[in-house]
Amino acid sequence: MDFANLASQLNAGTILPEGIVILTLLGVLIVDLILGRTSSRWIGYLAIAGLLAAIVALYFQWDATNPISFSGGFNGDDLSIVFRGIIALSAAVTILMSIRYVEQSGTALAEFIAILLTATLGGMFLSGASELVMIFISLETLSISSYLLTGYTKRDPRSNEAALKYLLIGASSTAVFLYGVSLLYGLSGGQTELSAIANGIATAKIGQSLAVVIALVFVIAGIGFKISAAPFHQWTPDVYEGAPTPVIAFLSVGSKAAGFALAIRLLTTVFPFVADEWRFVFTALAVLSMVLGNVVALAQTSMKRMLAYSSIAQAGFVMIGLIAGTEAGYSSMIFYLLVYLFMNLCGFTCIILFSLRTGTDQIAEYSGLYQKDPLLTLGLSISLLSLGGIPPLAGFFGKIYLFWAGWQAGLYWLVLLGLVTTVVSIYYYIRVVKMMVVKEPQEMSDVVKNYPAINWNLPGFRPLQVGLIVTLIATSIAGILSNPLFTLANNSVANTAILQANTVVSTQASAVNTEHPEGL
Amino acid sequence: MLSVLIWLPILAAAIITVIPKNLPTNTVRLSALYFAAIVLLWNIFILFKFDISNPSMQFQENIPWNETLGLTYQLGVDGLSILMLVLNSLLTWIAIYSSSKETQRPRLFYSLILLVSGGVAGAFLAENLLLFFLFYELELIPFYLLISIWGGEKRGYAGIKFLIYTAVSGALILATFLGMVWLTGSTSFAFDAVSTQTLSAGMQIILLAGIVLGFGIKIPLVPFHTWLPDAYVEASAPIAILLGGVLAKLGTYGLLRFGMGMFPQAWSTIAPTLATWGAVSAIYGAVVAIAQKDIKRMVAYSSIGHMGYILLAGAASTSLALVGAVAQMFSHGLILAILFHLVGVVETKVGTRELDKLNGLMSPIRGLPLISALLVLSGMASAGIPGLTGFVAEFIVFQGSFSAFPIPTILCVVASGLTAVYFVILLNRTCFGRLDNLAYYPKIEWFERTPALILAALIIFLGVQPTWLVRWSEPTTTAMVAAIPTLEKTVNSEIALKP
Repeated sequence: MDFANLASQLNAGTILPEGIVILTLLGVLIVDLILGRTSSRWIGYLAIAGLLAAIVALYFQWDATNPISFSGGFNGDDLSIVFRGIIALSAAVTILMSIRYVEQSGTALAEFIAILLTATLGGMFLSGASELVMIFISLETLSISSYLLTGYTKRDPRSNEAALKYLLIGASSTAVFLYGVSLLYGLSGGQTELSAIANGIATAKIGQSLAVVIALVFVIAGIGFKISAAPFHQWTPDVYEGAPTPVIAFLSVGSKAAGFALAIRLLTTVFPFVADEWRFVFTALAVLSMVLGNVVALAQTSMKRMLAYSSIAQAGFVMIGLIAGTEAGYSSMIFYLLVYLFMNLCGFTCIILFSLRTGTDQIAEYSGLYQKDPLLTLGLSISLLSLGGIPPLAGFFGKIYLFWAGWQAGLYWLVLLGLVTTVVSIYYYIRVVKMMVVKEPQEMSDVVKNYPAINWNLPGFRPLQVGLIVTLIATSIAGILSNPLFTLANNSVANTAILQANTVVSTQASAVNTEHPEGL
Repeated sequence: MLSVLIWLPILAAAIITVIPKNLPTNTVRLSALYFAAIVLLWNIFILFKFDISNPSMQFQENIPWNETLGLTYQLGVDGLSILMLVLNSLLTWIAIYSSSKETQRPRLFYSLILLVSGGVAGAFLAENLLLFFLFYELELIPFYLLISIWGGEKRGYAGIKFLIYTAVSGALILATFLGMVWLTGSTSFAFDAVSTQTLSAGMQIILLAGIVLGFGIKIPLVPFHTWLPDAYVEASAPIAILLGGVLAKLGTYGLLRFGMGMFPQAWSTIAPTLATWGAVSAIYGAVVAIAQKDIKRMVAYSSIGHMGYILLAGAASTSLALVGAVAQMFSHGLILAILFHLVGVVETKVGTRELDKLNGLMSPIRGLPLISALLVLSGMASAGIPGLTGFVAEFIVFQGSFSAFPIPTILCVVASGLTAVYFVILLNRTCFGRLDNLAYYPKIEWFERTPALILAALIIFLGVQPTWLVRWSEPTTTAMVAAIPTLEKTVNSEIALKP
């Protein structure tokens, strides 16, 4: 094999964005080693600059003529670009939040950022991975870094407990996932690349056999864990409560987006023959997540725990797009994840600000906040109302698109359930707004009475302010001026080969089924 | 032209939120009042430019917005909505005028009121289902806050109840809209792009049921009305004016526009049910109002009763009945506004709303004679005494509906009689009798009387000169009725008649 051929096989330019992230990661580590704690004043900005450079690099890769690289191990198509962008952006905003938070907890910032960047790297690779080993490795990179981040504030027993719980559940769910993956390897006659597996299963004519279904179920167990779909959600409330808040912000957006990217790529490419089956399983997961997430969130008293159940419920909404399985369905998922990034990170920024100033995150302690901190009240209200889908905020348009796509695909009951649970969700989101805005000055909680004077010039508060204002503006206007985002989401689906080929393979699948009506 | 009606109040709301914090409450109130006055004047200007003989949409504006969702920024006004727009900006102005000069947190209060006003105008103007829904849901949070921050004792409960009922109504409406557009194979949510004629009769009925239930919560119809007494009673006077005067009209407007306008065939099928339902609502509202001991609660139930007439008129769908329905919507808005304003004044001056404690307010020196006189006038208007706008509207409704549904119409006439009963009870217990010797009420300022005087003048004027009430809506309602097959015609012959 001559070098030119090898280079074209590798096509290493596709992973330039990840390359930039790796360089940043190494840069952060080395600077920290050389300069020690003194570097922590600007090392966060270095990491953000690296992530933004990676996003710019992604922009230039849009509509690449030859997205397949590393002999089929990595696929840099537009779908992966959108998801890599979401993950990189969520990491960038997370760093803005964490500069002060980590400093205040008395731990090293550079190490934190290094682990966060590794998780980002894992998520970004997962979005484009199209080969079993590659998928597993990037999934593990993401997961292991997430365990470390969860237990990062190691003097806090709750953080330790959360890390242990997350580790035990995470490791076993990856093991289940690995077992499913190894079954796929065996069933397809030794293929590890996703499209080759689909072909292998088709040639072996075992499209709907029990073994494939078992592999499917095991794989879904791994995916469901990442996107925290009920009943694989049990870690979410405890981890969200115990882990450092910026980590939660990343897990709720970046890690979840990676899980959905994996779900789209793996399920559409490998399992076209059992499409009805995985749609059915995901319908069950979506119903459970929407009902459980929204109903249990009603009874929460801790802000982070409430947002944990809310994120379970939001995953249920996003799954409507996945189940629809149409072009509109996939792009509504992508659009919703994009606006979810803004609204969730805006909400978490406000929670971090509040807990930095007062040291608590109980919902009852927010009462009467509008008098002391109007900006924080505005930010948290807007982001929560947007999560509840109130017009004209971004979340309203996201939900409308999801429901519209679901309705077009004939998922009437699922959409109706989504509407009903949205009404439920408005109740618990508005409860927080009520605490902050409606309460009289004499009903103010003790914490708010002793609220410190707002001083944005303290070290690490400026980036928080910037993050808050940027995400707040995005949440407010991303709905009204949503055309560019809609175009982005629609194009990314329209230009992605695997989602286009999907319908073709489905007809193939039905051909296989008619040839073998007994289904083997 | 029409966009001004939506965006000027919203812009004003934005300006009011950022004006300096240390300004006195009254300055904030006055600036909100000026903005509302400009909107009102602009609305009256549009009213005079409105071409009465034209039954279709006028002053249309169309800007593409989001093609993927089929959402366009499409506005237009016709005979069904023009009066509602005027009512909205008039009552916004009145509500701001009648608000207290000592309102707590004035910037938030007035900006929310203006925001609501812009949103309601948008809903009346929208010519796109999704745009309508967007503006419809926009009322949700501001009204929740307006009730639960500046309300009475049980405001938290009332606010949440209002929020949940309205959110459920929104969910039903959205589901129906999605169904209408998808099942008819349309790609856009624009009104003229959606035609339900192609659907099977059963499917039309299911979708229409969604519309009726969704808007029936908002109107409200018995048995979905239970949020109303709490919300109206706990809200402060200006908010009650907006809630009853404007927001309830959004429900009836939606029912006529989407229920009757978009499902003419299914509408004629379920019309008998609706007529009975309207009559039951009217009787129920009147009977329950008789039993109340709180004057605000009485007025709230009277609102339920009066909304029943509109449902009856819509079900009858003769052109006379529809003119009556629009007239009733407008005059009910005026009458409810004046009643809530007066009750608010009585409550602030006397300190109670209990029928058992109020007495002798008519007393010329120590009582509230002018307020009592106006209360008598508006009670008469509400009960349908000739010479006042309430009579005109109700009479047109009854006249138009009798040919189609005689028995429900007679029931509604009975309800109208019962209305007179509870208003006589109310007036007898509050205005007449002897004043307690201990009573010493604060003086009534001129600015507190002005809104009631304006509304009373309008009520009398429209009562003796009813042309001004009905001329706007006649061509539009005639055109709407023409689309509805009468009960005798079969569906088949209707299809055969089509080119």
